[in-house]
Amino acid sequence: MDYKGDIAYIRQVLAGNSNAFSYIVDRHKDKAYNLAFRICGNHEDAEEIAQDSFLKAYRSLKGFKMESSFATWLYRIVFNTAISLVRTRKKGVLSLDDFPVDATDFIGSNVNEEEAEREYRSSLVSFALQKITDEERGLISLYYYEEMSNDEISDLTGISKSNIKVKLFRARHKMLEIIEKVEKKKLTYHV
Amino acid sequence: MYNQEKFEKDLLSQYINPEKIEKAPEGFTEKVMNSIHIETKTYKATAGFKNKSLIPVISVVVTISLVVAAILIPGDQNDPLVLPLLELMKNIRFSLPVINFISFYNFNVPALMIYVLIGISVLSLFDRALYELFHREK
Repeated sequence: MDYKGDIAYIRQVLAGNSNAFSYIVDRHKDKAYNLAFRICGNHEDAEEIAQDSFLKAYRSLKGFKMESSFATWLYRIVFNTAISLVRTRKKGVLSLDDFPVDATDFIGSNVNEEEAEREYRSSLVSFALQKITDEERGLISLYYYEEMSNDEISDLTGISKSNIKVKLFRARHKMLEIIEKVEKKKLTYHV
Repeated sequence: MYNQEKFEKDLLSQYINPEKIEKAPEGFTEKVMNSIHIETKTYKATAGFKNKSLIPVISVVVTISLVVAAILIPGDQNDPLVLPLLELMKNIRFSLPVINFISFYNFNVPALMIYVLIGISVLSLFDRALYELFHREK
């Protein structure tokens, strides 16, 4: 991503051309939406979070330091907005029975077995993500989906690097336990 | 712990596909920009209302302050700060031309119209002065 390009548009917005902000939204909307979706787990909330984050960014654009990365600044807003929204909309705890037992359940009319298996794995991860805490989900999303380093995550979330390592370790462990349980259930179903 | 961490990291990586990006829905940018435009308009309207209501608010505050001062401050009290000022005001002599009102009766317009015209002129001057003061940024 061309950060200098962001700065040029930000300067235009600050000079009074609010329409220049649409270029910034266009450049970052997919990554912001993706991060919001990974944390909240559904499209409706993800759209609300991403929109809200862009509005917050627009409102506080004057406070943005030009020498830092706009993307990191924006994702920090998305991360915090998503975590606080998810906390206010706590959903019921998912049970293992809520997850389909077989990859064949993912085969649609035009989907082959390989694609179904991929879909199954992706859904399994989404399911496991919903069973860990909001903060852990955010950290896993940043690490695996946004492919950020521990340093970058620390910069974005304000959590110390060593604490991130510990939290990621716990989150990974919990997720694998859930995945293992689902896979075991799948095996007993087929026996 | 390090080996277990590495093992679990790799294991989870097999399940997670970072290339699968959830894209923002169509019309997302337009929705955001609409919200921004609405917010900007609302802000401008609020700012306009504040500017418009500033003059009456100042008038009300000044009037109330004067009324309260008139009630609370005794009339016969000699204020060391105000008294010299009042003395000075008393001694000021204005050298404005004396209006010969009798001459106005020679006009064919009703006498009351003279006062109305003077009043309108004074109010127009005030209005212009206040407008310049409070709407300078436009």
